[in-house]
Amino acid sequence: MAVETKDTKAFPRGELKTYGLMELVRGTSPLVGKGPENTVFAFPIVAILEALLAIGTTLFLLLFSLLRDAPLEELANPDLTTNPAKAPWYFMALQELLLHMHPVLAGILVPGLVVLFLIALPYLDNDPADSGRWFASSRGRKIVIWTALYTLLVQAALIGFDEFMGLRGLGAASPAILQFVGPILFGVLLLGLPLLLLWRFKPNRREVMLLIFTVILVSAVVLTISGFLFRGPGMHLYPPWNMPDGYNPWSSL
Amino acid sequence: MANLIDSITASRVWRSFFRHGWPDTEINRSLVMTTNIFFHLHPVKVSRKSLRASSTWGLGVIATILFIILTLTGILIMFYYVPSTEMAYDSIIILQTKVLYGQLMRNMHRWAAHAMVLVVVLHMLRVFYTGAYKPPREFNWVVGVFLLLMTLGASFTGYLLPWDQLSFWAITVGTNIAGYAPLIGPKMRFMLLGGFEVGQNALIRFYALHIMALPLLMAGAASVHIWRVRKDGGLAMQGGQEELLDIE
Repeated sequence: MAVETKDTKAFPRGELKTYGLMELVRGTSPLVGKGPENTVFAFPIVAILEALLAIGTTLFLLLFSLLRDAPLEELANPDLTTNPAKAPWYFMALQELLLHMHPVLAGILVPGLVVLFLIALPYLDNDPADSGRWFASSRGRKIVIWTALYTLLVQAALIGFDEFMGLRGLGAASPAILQFVGPILFGVLLLGLPLLLLWRFKPNRREVMLLIFTVILVSAVVLTISGFLFRGPGMHLYPPWNMPDGYNPWSSL
Repeated sequence: MANLIDSITASRVWRSFFRHGWPDTEINRSLVMTTNIFFHLHPVKVSRKSLRASSTWGLGVIATILFIILTLTGILIMFYYVPSTEMAYDSIIILQTKVLYGQLMRNMHRWAAHAMVLVVVLHMLRVFYTGAYKPPREFNWVVGVFLLLMTLGASFTGYLLPWDQLSFWAITVGTNIAGYAPLIGPKMRFMLLGGFEVGQNALIRFYALHIMALPLLMAGAASVHIWRVRKDGGLAMQGGQEELLDIE
């Protein structure tokens, strides 16, 4: 009876077969490190699943389209600005940011850094050991949950603070402070505080990325919801169910 | 009957279309995948885990399906839509009121566009939180980031086309954001709009980007993206799960 080692567990020895080493070659293949696969033939199961998804998606869209018409307002009129004038919902996070800081920050630097971070991500965190596992570990899951809660609270508080009081309310007057220094400071704090906290637990790279990505994601979600749902005439905050002038944020979808 | 079927499937015409037998043997199931242009993006065999809903939620497949629905409904709308500031709005009204199922086509196109942005973002979240961007999948992650940006671009350029107040001011606000970049911002905005404000030049540019340039780029990039999934070994799943084997 062969001794159970890691290798024999991965490649169980066939009792009726003989083995011989034929040749050693350099190089890798997608199956390197995977061992005997727990696989099935893709045909027909994959084709069936894809067909089901296609039918489901189409049916859902069809039903939704029967229930709700795409919006169409009056003919475009360059002389008559709508109030509020909003970008499509997926750019509302940017437009919301524009309310709080200098356009160069909100329109260029922040989105530029986010895209750069996304592109650089797999090169910053390149240890494949824990790939394929949701949140890497239970610790990773905790990091994501706490970061999401923290960002949700802080981001919502920052939006409220800027709307109802702002740095101006604290006595700041110089545009440089209002539009650059203040927002940058808040941004650094937003990301820096949880990172500093995490640092004490000696995180690995994946955990740092989990934190940064979650801060960006939840910020984007909060900013989008705030901009899309809570901003009414004059881009001021109102409860979405009680907008002035009969404005309905959903009508701009 | 059996004879008839046999003689059809044995005919030269049939065998020129289907270069394999009935897919009930391993070799024929492999050949289905490798001899069919649409199937060949898939691997011959897939891991059981990748078929589980909780592994991917099917988001990549749904995004592809939405892209196909958008292409089909988009082509139908193109038979009626006129990309001129004089006629665009009227052509949408005609599409909605005079064309059989015109309103339905437009509704489906609109809602599929919103759904696609949402689904692509969710797909990215799934890939990120399962760590599926790590080697050897770095390149495919980057392709995915560009596909996300192109999805946003395709949706945004389509937003202008109805030429109503909603689209006009949304695009005015949206392109103003692009104009804020120091030095190149105003030039970028001018290039996008073909002028200093949203007008006929902007409409035709957005139209060309929306119906041709971006869909072509996206179809190309999506093909690379899906093919790369197979080349990178399918679903990322080293470590972690019970059926995985701990090999150093």
